[in-house]
Amino acid sequence: MSRFLPEAWMLPIVDDLNREFFTSGKLLLQQCVDCQTVQHPPEEVCHQCQGMEFVHVESAGRGAVYSFAVMHYPVHAELQSAVPYAVVLVQLDDHPSVRIVGNCLDVPPDEVEIDMPVQVTWETLADAETGEQLRMPQWQAIRR
Amino acid sequence: MLGETAVVGIGETDFYRAGQAPLSEFQLACVAVKRAAEDAGIPLEDIDGYVAYSDRQDPVRLSAALGTKRTTFTAQCWGGGGNGTAHAVSIAAAAVEAGYARHVVAFRSLAQGQFGRFGRARGPLRVTGARAYTSPYGLVTPAQECAMQTRRFMHEYGVSQEALAEISLASYEHAQRNPRAVRYGQPLTREQYHDSRWIVEPFHLFDCCQESDGSAAVVITTAERAADLPSTPAYIKAAAQGMGQRAGATAFTEPEFPTAHYKIVGEELWARSGVGPADIDVAQVYENFTGPVLIGLAEMGFAPPDGIEEFVSDGNIRWPDGGLPMNTSGGNLAEAYIHGFELVTEAVRQIRGESTSQVEDAELSLVISGPGYCPGSSVLFSKDRG
Ligand SMILES: [Zn+2]
Repeated sequence: MSRFLPEAWMLPIVDDLNREFFTSGKLLLQQCVDCQTVQHPPEEVCHQCQGMEFVHVESAGRGAVYSFAVMHYPVHAELQSAVPYAVVLVQLDDHPSVRIVGNCLDVPPDEVEIDMPVQVTWETLADAETGEQLRMPQWQAIRR
Repeated sequence: MLGETAVVGIGETDFYRAGQAPLSEFQLACVAVKRAAEDAGIPLEDIDGYVAYSDRQDPVRLSAALGTKRTTFTAQCWGGGGNGTAHAVSIAAAAVEAGYARHVVAFRSLAQGQFGRFGRARGPLRVTGARAYTSPYGLVTPAQECAMQTRRFMHEYGVSQEALAEISLASYEHAQRNPRAVRYGQPLTREQYHDSRWIVEPFHLFDCCQESDGSAAVVITTAERAADLPSTPAYIKAAAQGMGQRAGATAFTEPEFPTAHYKIVGEELWARSGVGPADIDVAQVYENFTGPVLIGLAEMGFAPPDGIEEFVSDGNIRWPDGGLPMNTSGGNLAEAYIHGFELVTEAVRQIRGESTSQVEDAELSLVISGPGYCPGSSVLFSKDRG
Protein backbone atom coordinates (compact mmCIF):
# COMPACT_ATOMS: atom_id res chain seq x y z
CA MET A 1 0.00 0.00 0.00
CA SER A 2 1.11 3.56 -0.51
CA ARG A 3 2.05 5.80 2.34
CA PHE A 4 -0.55 7.87 4.25
CA LEU A 5 1.70 10.93 4.10
CA PRO A 6 3.63 11.82 0.91
CA GLU A 7 6.29 9.26 -0.04
CA ALA A 8 9.13 11.76 0.32
CA TRP A 9 8.13 12.80 3.85
CA MET A 10 10.34 12.18 6.87
CA LEU A 11 11.43 8.67 7.88
CA PRO A 12 13.00 7.34 11.06
CA ILE A 13 16.63 6.30 10.96
CA VAL A 14 16.69 2.73 12.23
CA ASP A 15 19.05 2.11 15.15
CA ASP A 16 19.57 -0.50 17.85
CA LEU A 17 16.88 0.97 20.12
CA ASN A 18 14.09 1.34 17.57
CA ARG A 19 14.80 -1.53 15.13
CA GLU A 20 12.08 -3.89 16.42
CA PHE A 21 9.47 -1.14 16.56
CA PHE A 22 10.05 0.14 13.03
CA THR A 23 11.00 -3.00 11.11
CA SER A 24 9.38 -6.12 12.63
CA GLY A 25 5.81 -5.65 11.46
CA LYS A 26 4.71 -6.49 15.00
CA LEU A 27 3.89 -4.04 17.75
CA LEU A 28 6.93 -4.95 19.83
CA LEU A 29 7.36 -2.94 23.03
CA GLN A 30 10.44 -2.70 25.21
CA GLN A 31 10.20 -4.62 28.49
CA CYS A 32 12.69 -4.43 31.36
CA VAL A 33 14.21 -7.82 32.25
CA ASP A 34 14.63 -6.85 35.90
CA CYS A 35 11.21 -5.37 36.77
CA GLN A 36 9.05 -6.32 33.74
CA THR A 37 7.95 -2.72 33.18
CA VAL A 38 6.90 -2.02 29.61
CA GLN A 39 7.94 1.41 28.36
CA HIS A 40 7.64 3.30 25.09
CA PRO A 41 9.50 4.80 23.34
CA PRO A 42 12.34 2.36 24.04
CA GLU A 43 15.02 3.90 26.23
CA GLU A 44 18.58 3.07 27.24
CA VAL A 45 17.53 2.84 30.89
CA CYS A 46 14.36 1.49 32.56
CA HIS A 47 12.55 4.45 34.08
CA GLN A 48 11.28 2.29 36.97
CA CYS A 49 14.35 0.37 38.16
CA GLN A 50 17.21 1.77 36.03
CA GLY A 51 17.75 -1.68 34.53
CA MET A 52 19.59 -1.80 31.23
CA GLU A 53 18.61 -5.21 29.89
CA PHE A 54 15.49 -5.47 27.81
CA VAL A 55 13.37 -7.92 25.90
CA HIS A 56 10.34 -7.19 23.73
CA VAL A 57 6.70 -8.05 24.32
CA GLU A 58 4.10 -7.99 21.57
CA SER A 59 0.99 -5.90 22.07
CA ALA A 60 -2.32 -7.08 20.65
CA GLY A 61 -2.41 -3.66 18.99
CA ARG A 62 -5.82 -2.51 20.07
CA GLY A 63 -6.51 0.77 21.83
CA ALA A 64 -8.39 4.03 21.78
CA VAL A 65 -7.62 7.55 20.64
CA TYR A 66 -6.40 9.42 23.73
CA SER A 67 -5.89 12.74 21.94
CA PHE A 68 -5.41 14.04 18.41
CA ALA A 69 -4.48 17.12 16.43
CA VAL A 70 -5.64 18.11 12.96
CA MET A 71 -2.90 19.73 10.90
CA HIS A 72 -3.97 22.42 8.45
CA TYR A 73 -0.81 24.46 7.96
CA PRO A 74 1.84 22.46 6.07
CA VAL A 75 5.01 22.89 8.12
CA HIS A 76 7.12 21.60 5.23
CA ALA A 77 6.74 21.80 1.44
CA GLU A 78 6.45 17.99 1.26
CA LEU A 79 3.28 18.16 3.38
CA GLN A 80 1.50 20.66 1.14
CA SER A 81 -0.55 17.95 -0.57
CA ALA A 82 -1.30 16.12 2.70
CA VAL A 83 -3.14 18.79 4.72
CA PRO A 84 -5.53 18.61 6.39
CA TYR A 85 -4.54 15.40 8.14
CA ALA A 86 -4.97 14.12 11.69
CA VAL A 87 -2.28 12.75 14.01
CA VAL A 88 -3.65 10.50 16.73
CA LEU A 89 -2.24 9.49 20.10
CA VAL A 90 -3.37 5.92 20.84
CA GLN A 91 -3.52 4.45 24.33
CA LEU A 92 -3.10 0.66 24.21
CA ASP A 93 -5.71 -1.60 25.84
CA ASP A 94 -3.15 -4.18 26.98
CA HIS A 95 -0.49 -1.65 28.12
CA PRO A 96 -2.37 1.49 29.26
CA SER A 97 0.85 3.27 30.25
CA VAL A 98 1.89 3.16 26.60
CA ARG A 99 0.71 5.77 24.12
CA ILE A 100 1.73 5.63 20.47
CA VAL A 101 1.61 8.39 17.86
CA GLY A 102 0.30 7.60 14.39
CA ASN A 103 -2.30 8.36 11.75
CA CYS A 104 -5.77 6.88 11.49
CA LEU A 105 -5.72 5.69 7.90
CA ASP A 106 -9.43 5.15 7.24
CA VAL A 107 -11.01 8.06 9.14
CA PRO A 108 -11.25 11.59 7.68
CA PRO A 109 -9.64 14.22 9.92
CA ASP A 110 -12.95 15.85 10.83
CA GLU A 111 -14.32 12.52 12.08
CA VAL A 112 -11.50 11.59 14.46
CA GLU A 113 -12.67 11.63 18.08
CA ILE A 114 -11.20 10.99 21.51
CA ASP A 115 -12.03 7.45 22.79
CA MET A 116 -12.50 6.14 19.24
CA PRO A 117 -11.43 2.44 19.26
CA VAL A 118 -8.61 1.60 16.86
CA GLN A 119 -6.38 -1.31 15.92
CA VAL A 120 -2.90 -1.38 14.52
CA THR A 121 -2.20 -1.77 10.82
CA TRP A 122 1.04 -1.47 8.87
CA GLU A 123 2.71 0.67 6.26
CA THR A 124 5.56 -0.99 4.40
CA LEU A 125 8.10 1.55 3.25
CA ALA A 126 11.56 1.39 1.79
CA ASP A 127 14.13 4.03 2.64
CA ALA A 128 15.79 4.58 -0.74
CA GLU A 129 18.77 6.31 0.91
CA THR A 130 19.65 3.56 3.36
CA GLY A 131 18.01 0.54 1.71
CA GLU A 132 16.25 -0.14 5.01
CA GLN A 133 12.83 -1.83 4.85
CA LEU A 134 10.45 -0.17 7.29
CA ARG A 135 7.21 -1.51 8.77
CA MET A 136 5.57 1.50 10.35
CA PRO A 137 2.69 0.98 12.79
CA GLN A 138 -0.45 2.87 11.82
CA TRP A 139 -4.10 2.71 12.93
CA GLN A 140 -7.55 1.99 11.61
CA ALA A 141 -10.94 2.34 13.24
CA ILE A 142 -12.59 -0.70 14.81
CA ARG A 143 -16.09 -0.61 13.31
CA ARG A 144 -18.90 -2.09 15.34
CA MET B 1 15.76 34.58 48.11
CA LEU B 2 12.82 36.70 49.44
CA GLY B 3 13.86 40.17 48.35
CA GLU B 4 17.62 39.66 48.64
CA THR B 5 18.04 40.40 44.92
CA ALA B 6 16.39 42.66 42.38
CA VAL B 7 16.15 43.53 38.71
CA VAL B 8 17.68 46.98 38.43
CA GLY B 9 17.87 47.41 34.66
CA ILE B 10 15.90 46.34 31.61
CA GLY B 11 16.89 46.62 27.97
CA GLU B 12 15.17 45.77 24.72
CA THR B 13 15.80 46.23 21.04
CA ASP B 14 13.00 47.22 18.73
CA PHE B 15 10.91 44.17 17.87
CA TYR B 16 10.48 42.95 14.30
CA ARG B 17 8.63 40.36 12.28
CA ALA B 18 10.88 37.34 11.67
CA GLY B 19 13.51 38.17 9.09
CA GLN B 20 13.06 41.94 9.26
CA ALA B 21 15.63 42.85 11.91
CA PRO B 22 18.41 45.01 10.46
CA LEU B 23 20.86 43.42 12.93
CA SER B 24 22.15 39.90 13.48
CA GLU B 25 21.06 37.85 16.49
CA PHE B 26 24.41 38.57 18.17
CA GLN B 27 24.17 42.30 17.48
CA LEU B 28 20.62 42.34 18.86
CA ALA B 29 21.89 40.73 22.08
CA CYS B 30 24.64 43.35 22.42
CA VAL B 31 22.13 46.18 22.01
CA ALA B 32 19.73 44.76 24.63
CA VAL B 33 22.47 44.11 27.21
CA LYS B 34 23.96 47.57 26.66
CA ARG B 35 20.57 49.22 27.13
CA ALA B 36 19.90 47.16 30.28
CA ALA B 37 23.20 48.30 31.80
CA GLU B 38 22.47 51.93 30.88
CA ASP B 39 19.00 51.64 32.39
CA ALA B 40 20.54 50.23 35.58
CA GLY B 41 23.08 53.04 35.76
CA ILE B 42 25.93 50.52 35.73
CA PRO B 43 28.96 50.91 33.42
CA LEU B 44 28.66 48.21 30.73
CA GLU B 45 32.15 46.93 31.53
CA ASP B 46 31.01 46.18 35.10
CA ILE B 47 28.48 43.53 34.04
CA ASP B 48 30.25 40.41 35.35
CA GLY B 49 27.85 37.54 34.70
CA TYR B 50 25.77 36.19 31.81
CA VAL B 51 22.80 33.82 32.00
CA ALA B 52 20.49 32.68 29.20
CA TYR B 53 18.27 29.78 28.08
CA SER B 54 18.25 28.13 24.65
CA ASP B 55 20.46 30.95 23.41
CA ARG B 56 23.16 30.93 20.75
CA GLN B 57 25.10 33.94 22.10
CA ASP B 58 28.10 32.42 23.84
CA PRO B 59 29.17 34.59 26.82
CA VAL B 60 32.76 34.12 25.68
CA ARG B 61 32.01 36.06 22.51
CA LEU B 62 29.52 38.37 24.21
CA SER B 63 31.82 39.43 27.04
CA ALA B 64 34.58 40.22 24.55
CA ALA B 65 32.27 42.35 22.41
CA LEU B 66 30.85 44.20 25.41
CA GLY B 67 34.18 45.01 27.02
CA THR B 68 33.47 43.09 30.22
CA LYS B 69 36.39 43.62 32.58
CA ARG B 70 35.91 40.66 34.91
CA THR B 71 33.53 37.85 33.97
CA THR B 72 32.96 35.70 37.06
CA PHE B 73 29.76 33.79 36.28
CA THR B 74 28.15 32.20 33.21
CA ALA B 75 25.28 29.72 32.98
CA GLN B 76 22.47 28.55 30.77
CA CYS B 77 19.23 26.88 31.82
CA TRP B 78 18.56 23.28 30.73
CA GLY B 79 15.57 22.06 28.82
CA GLY B 80 13.05 23.01 26.21
CA GLY B 81 12.60 26.60 25.18
CA GLY B 82 10.58 29.46 26.62
CA ASN B 83 10.10 27.50 29.83
CA GLY B 84 13.51 28.90 30.83
CA THR B 85 12.76 32.64 30.97
CA ALA B 86 12.10 32.84 34.71
CA HIS B 87 14.76 30.30 35.53
CA ALA B 88 17.41 32.39 33.79
CA VAL B 89 16.45 35.22 36.17
CA SER B 90 16.54 32.77 39.06
CA ILE B 91 20.04 31.52 38.23
CA ALA B 92 21.28 35.10 37.96
CA ALA B 93 19.69 35.98 41.30
CA ALA B 94 21.22 32.94 42.97
CA ALA B 95 24.63 33.91 41.61
CA VAL B 96 24.54 37.46 42.95
CA GLU B 97 23.13 36.33 46.29
CA ALA B 98 25.95 33.78 46.58
CA GLY B 99 28.50 36.46 45.73
CA TYR B 100 29.70 34.77 42.56
CA ALA B 101 29.11 37.95 40.60
CA ARG B 102 27.86 41.48 41.25
CA HIS B 103 25.78 42.48 38.22
CA VAL B 104 24.50 39.52 36.24
CA VAL B 105 22.61 39.96 33.02
CA ALA B 106 19.90 37.48 31.98
CA PHE B 107 18.92 37.73 28.34
CA ARG B 108 17.55 36.16 25.18
CA SER B 109 18.20 37.11 21.60
CA LEU B 110 16.35 35.69 18.64
CA ALA B 111 16.66 36.24 14.91
CA GLN B 112 14.42 33.66 13.28
CA GLY B 113 15.18 35.30 9.95
CA GLN B 114 18.84 34.37 10.44
CA PHE B 115 18.46 30.91 11.96
CA GLY B 116 15.17 29.46 10.71
CA ARG B 117 11.59 29.77 11.85
CA PHE B 118 10.24 27.82 14.83
CA GLY B 119 6.94 27.11 13.07
CA ARG B 120 8.48 25.20 10.16
CA ALA B 121 10.15 21.81 9.85
CA ARG B 122 13.90 22.29 9.62
CA GLY B 123 16.74 20.02 8.69
CA PRO B 124 16.88 16.75 6.74
CA LEU B 125 13.97 14.38 6.14
CA ARG B 126 15.46 11.64 8.33
CA VAL B 127 15.02 11.65 12.07
CA THR B 128 16.49 9.88 15.11
CA GLY B 129 15.81 9.69 18.84
CA ALA B 130 12.43 10.55 20.36
CA ARG B 131 11.33 12.45 17.26
CA ALA B 132 11.48 9.25 15.22
CA TYR B 133 8.21 8.27 16.94
CA THR B 134 6.36 11.49 16.04
CA SER B 135 7.77 13.38 13.03
CA PRO B 136 7.32 10.60 10.41
CA TYR B 137 3.60 10.76 11.24
CA GLY B 138 3.50 14.48 10.50
CA LEU B 139 3.77 15.84 14.04
CA VAL B 140 6.76 18.15 14.01
CA THR B 141 6.32 21.64 15.44
CA PRO B 142 5.60 23.04 18.90
CA ALA B 143 2.13 24.18 17.75
CA GLN B 144 1.28 20.59 16.84
CA GLU B 145 2.68 19.20 20.11
CA CYS B 146 0.77 21.74 22.20
CA ALA B 147 -2.40 21.04 20.20
CA MET B 148 -2.20 17.39 21.27
CA GLN B 149 -1.99 18.43 24.95
CA THR B 150 -4.70 21.08 24.58
CA ARG B 151 -7.20 18.80 22.83
CA ARG B 152 -7.07 16.31 25.69
CA PHE B 153 -7.31 19.08 28.31
CA MET B 154 -10.40 20.52 26.60
CA HIS B 155 -11.96 17.04 26.46
CA GLU B 156 -11.28 16.19 30.12
CA TYR B 157 -12.43 19.47 31.61
CA GLY B 158 -15.14 20.68 29.23
CA VAL B 159 -13.11 23.68 28.04
CA SER B 160 -14.44 25.39 24.91
CA GLN B 161 -12.80 27.28 22.06
CA GLU B 162 -13.98 30.51 23.72
CA ALA B 163 -11.50 29.98 26.56
CA LEU B 164 -8.66 29.90 24.04
CA ALA B 165 -10.11 32.99 22.36
CA GLU B 166 -10.01 34.91 25.65
CA ILE B 167 -6.22 34.51 25.93
CA SER B 168 -5.72 35.78 22.40
CA LEU B 169 -8.18 38.66 22.67
CA ALA B 170 -6.61 39.91 25.91
CA SER B 171 -3.13 40.00 24.37
CA TYR B 172 -4.33 41.82 21.25
CA GLU B 173 -6.34 44.32 23.30
CA HIS B 174 -3.33 45.17 25.47
CA ALA B 175 -1.05 45.45 22.41
CA GLN B 176 -3.23 48.28 21.08
CA ARG B 177 -1.95 50.44 23.95
CA ASN B 178 1.72 49.49 23.39
CA PRO B 179 3.50 51.24 20.51
CA ARG B 180 6.40 48.74 20.77
CA ALA B 181 4.06 45.89 19.83
CA VAL B 182 4.37 44.42 16.35
CA ARG B 183 0.55 44.16 16.34
CA TYR B 184 0.02 47.75 17.53
CA GLY B 185 -2.74 49.27 15.42
CA GLN B 186 -4.10 45.83 14.48
CA PRO B 187 -6.99 45.15 16.87
CA LEU B 188 -8.61 41.72 16.90
CA THR B 189 -12.32 41.02 17.27
CA ARG B 190 -13.87 37.80 18.49
CA GLU B 191 -15.33 37.28 15.00
CA GLN B 192 -11.92 37.71 13.37
CA TYR B 193 -10.48 35.21 15.84
CA HIS B 194 -13.05 32.54 15.00
CA ASP B 195 -12.93 33.27 11.26
CA SER B 196 -9.14 33.00 11.08
CA ARG B 197 -7.67 29.91 9.46
CA TRP B 198 -6.72 26.85 11.42
CA ILE B 199 -3.01 26.27 11.90
CA VAL B 200 -3.57 23.02 13.77
CA GLU B 201 -6.90 22.34 15.42
CA PRO B 202 -7.73 23.49 18.08
CA PHE B 203 -5.42 26.45 17.29
CA HIS B 204 -6.52 29.19 14.93
CA LEU B 205 -3.94 31.58 13.50
CA PHE B 206 -4.53 33.93 16.44
CA ASP B 207 -3.90 31.20 19.02
CA CYS B 208 -0.30 31.05 17.84
CA CYS B 209 2.56 33.30 18.85
CA GLN B 210 4.23 35.47 16.27
CA GLU B 211 7.60 34.67 14.82
CA SER B 212 9.78 37.64 15.69
CA ASP B 213 13.30 39.00 15.83
CA GLY B 214 14.65 41.01 18.75
CA SER B 215 16.35 40.82 22.11
CA ALA B 216 15.56 41.57 25.74
CA ALA B 217 17.77 41.64 28.83
CA VAL B 218 17.63 42.39 32.54
CA VAL B 219 20.36 43.22 35.05
CA ILE B 220 20.18 41.57 38.47
CA THR B 221 22.08 42.57 41.58
CA THR B 222 21.68 42.41 45.34
CA ALA B 223 19.08 44.47 47.18
CA GLU B 224 21.93 46.32 48.97
CA ARG B 225 23.50 47.48 45.71
CA ALA B 226 20.05 48.19 44.24
CA ALA B 227 19.52 50.81 46.94
CA ASP B 228 22.37 52.89 45.46
CA LEU B 229 21.13 52.67 41.85
CA PRO B 230 18.72 55.09 40.15
CA SER B 231 15.92 52.73 39.07
CA THR B 232 13.02 51.39 41.12
CA PRO B 233 14.10 47.84 42.03
CA ALA B 234 11.85 44.94 41.13
CA TYR B 235 12.69 42.65 44.04
CA ILE B 236 12.78 38.94 43.36
CA LYS B 237 10.42 37.67 46.01
CA ALA B 238 10.62 34.04 44.90
CA ALA B 239 11.42 31.86 41.94
CA ALA B 240 10.94 28.19 41.19
CA GLN B 241 11.68 25.57 38.58
CA GLY B 242 10.13 22.09 38.46
CA MET B 243 8.87 18.99 36.73
CA GLY B 244 7.22 15.79 37.93
CA GLN B 245 8.28 12.15 37.82
CA ARG B 246 8.96 11.07 34.23
CA ALA B 247 7.80 14.47 32.99
CA GLY B 248 10.59 14.13 30.47
CA ALA B 249 9.28 10.85 29.03
CA THR B 250 9.02 11.46 25.31
CA ALA B 251 6.39 11.18 22.58
CA PHE B 252 3.47 12.05 24.90
CA THR B 253 4.08 9.15 27.29
CA GLU B 254 4.57 11.20 30.46
CA PRO B 255 2.24 9.76 33.14
CA GLU B 256 0.60 13.14 33.69
CA PHE B 257 -0.89 14.05 30.34
CA PRO B 258 -2.03 16.67 29.67
CA THR B 259 0.23 18.84 31.77
CA ALA B 260 1.96 22.20 31.42
CA HIS B 261 4.58 21.12 34.03
CA TYR B 262 3.54 23.79 36.54
CA LYS B 263 2.18 21.86 39.55
CA ILE B 264 5.54 21.60 41.33
CA VAL B 265 6.51 25.10 40.21
CA GLY B 266 3.33 26.48 41.79
CA GLU B 267 3.73 24.53 45.02
CA GLU B 268 7.33 25.72 45.41
CA LEU B 269 6.70 29.32 44.40
CA TRP B 270 3.79 29.85 46.80
CA ALA B 271 5.65 28.10 49.65
CA ARG B 272 8.82 30.15 49.10
CA SER B 273 7.00 33.48 48.70
CA GLY B 274 4.38 33.07 51.41
CA VAL B 275 1.70 34.43 49.09
CA GLY B 276 -0.88 32.70 46.89
CA PRO B 277 -2.58 33.10 43.52
CA ALA B 278 -5.23 35.44 44.95
CA ASP B 279 -2.51 37.90 46.02
CA ILE B 280 -1.08 38.40 42.53
CA ASP B 281 -1.80 41.80 40.96
CA VAL B 282 -0.65 41.17 37.39
CA ALA B 283 0.73 38.19 35.45
CA GLN B 284 2.74 37.60 32.30
CA VAL B 285 2.04 34.08 31.06
CA TYR B 286 4.09 32.86 28.12
CA GLU B 287 1.72 32.15 25.26
CA ASN B 288 3.42 30.10 22.61
CA PHE B 289 -0.14 28.94 22.03
CA THR B 290 -3.27 29.76 24.00
CA GLY B 291 -4.03 26.23 25.19
CA PRO B 292 -0.99 25.67 27.44
CA VAL B 293 -1.71 29.01 29.14
CA LEU B 294 -4.99 27.58 30.43
CA ILE B 295 -3.28 24.41 31.66
CA GLY B 296 -0.48 26.43 33.29
CA LEU B 297 -2.87 28.79 35.09
CA ALA B 298 -4.83 25.82 36.44
CA GLU B 299 -1.68 24.02 37.62
CA MET B 300 -0.41 27.18 39.32
CA GLY B 301 -3.67 27.22 41.28
CA PHE B 302 -5.50 30.21 39.83
CA ALA B 303 -8.59 28.03 39.30
CA PRO B 304 -9.35 24.32 39.05
CA PRO B 305 -9.07 22.96 35.49
CA ASP B 306 -12.84 22.77 35.09
CA GLY B 307 -13.13 26.36 36.31
CA ILE B 308 -10.34 27.83 34.18
CA GLU B 309 -12.68 28.90 31.37
CA GLU B 310 -14.75 30.91 33.82
CA PHE B 311 -11.54 32.39 35.28
CA VAL B 312 -10.34 33.82 31.95
CA SER B 313 -13.80 34.95 30.80
CA ASP B 314 -15.79 38.15 31.34
CA GLY B 315 -12.71 40.36 31.10
CA ASN B 316 -11.05 38.91 34.21
CA ILE B 317 -7.61 38.80 32.51
CA ARG B 318 -7.95 42.20 30.84
CA TRP B 319 -6.65 45.60 31.90
CA PRO B 320 -7.83 47.69 33.70
CA ASP B 321 -10.84 46.08 35.37
CA GLY B 322 -9.95 42.37 35.43
CA GLY B 323 -9.02 40.57 38.61
CA LEU B 324 -5.75 39.39 37.04
CA PRO B 325 -4.68 41.49 34.05
CA MET B 326 -2.48 39.23 31.94
CA ASN B 327 0.12 39.81 29.23
CA THR B 328 -0.25 43.56 29.56
CA SER B 329 2.25 44.41 26.80
CA GLY B 330 0.52 42.16 24.28
CA GLY B 331 2.75 39.20 25.07
CA ASN B 332 4.12 36.67 22.62
CA LEU B 333 0.91 36.80 20.60
CA ALA B 334 0.72 40.50 19.90
CA GLU B 335 3.78 42.38 21.20
CA ALA B 336 6.60 40.15 19.95
CA TYR B 337 7.91 36.65 20.43
CA ILE B 338 11.37 37.18 21.91
CA HIS B 339 11.13 33.65 23.23
CA GLY B 340 9.15 35.08 26.14
CA PHE B 341 11.85 37.27 27.63
CA GLU B 342 9.85 40.37 26.65
CA LEU B 343 7.36 39.12 29.29
CA VAL B 344 10.05 39.37 31.98
CA THR B 345 10.80 43.00 31.10
CA GLU B 346 7.06 43.75 31.12
CA ALA B 347 6.67 42.19 34.57
CA VAL B 348 9.44 44.53 35.80
CA ARG B 349 7.76 47.55 34.18
CA GLN B 350 4.59 46.73 36.12
CA ILE B 351 6.53 47.00 39.40
CA ARG B 352 8.11 50.27 38.24
CA GLY B 353 4.77 51.74 37.14
CA GLU B 354 5.94 51.98 33.51
CA SER B 355 3.62 49.63 31.59
CA THR B 356 1.38 50.98 28.84
CA SER B 357 -1.38 49.00 30.59
CA GLN B 358 -0.23 49.81 34.10
CA VAL B 359 -2.03 48.01 36.90
CA GLU B 360 -2.62 50.56 39.64
CA ASP B 361 -0.39 50.02 42.70
CA ALA B 362 0.93 46.70 41.41
CA GLU B 363 2.79 45.10 44.31
CA LEU B 364 3.19 41.52 43.09
CA SER B 365 4.03 40.85 39.45
CA LEU B 366 4.27 37.24 38.25
CA VAL B 367 5.97 35.58 35.27
CA ILE B 368 4.95 32.07 34.22
CA SER B 369 7.48 30.84 31.64
CA GLY B 370 6.59 28.56 28.76
CA PRO B 371 3.87 26.15 29.88
CA GLY B 372 3.88 22.86 27.98
CA TYR B 373 7.60 22.18 28.08
CA CYS B 374 9.66 21.03 31.03
CA PRO B 375 11.04 21.96 33.42
CA GLY B 376 8.62 24.81 34.00
CA SER B 377 9.74 27.95 35.81
CA SER B 378 8.26 31.04 37.38
CA VAL B 379 9.47 34.21 39.07
CA LEU B 380 7.59 36.62 41.32
CA PHE B 381 8.64 40.28 41.50
CA SER B 382 7.60 42.55 44.36
CA LYS B 383 7.63 46.29 44.91
CA ASP B 384 8.49 45.90 48.59
CA ARG B 385 11.62 44.13 49.62
CA GLY B 386 10.01 42.06 52.39
ZN1 LIG C 1 13.01 -2.04 35.25
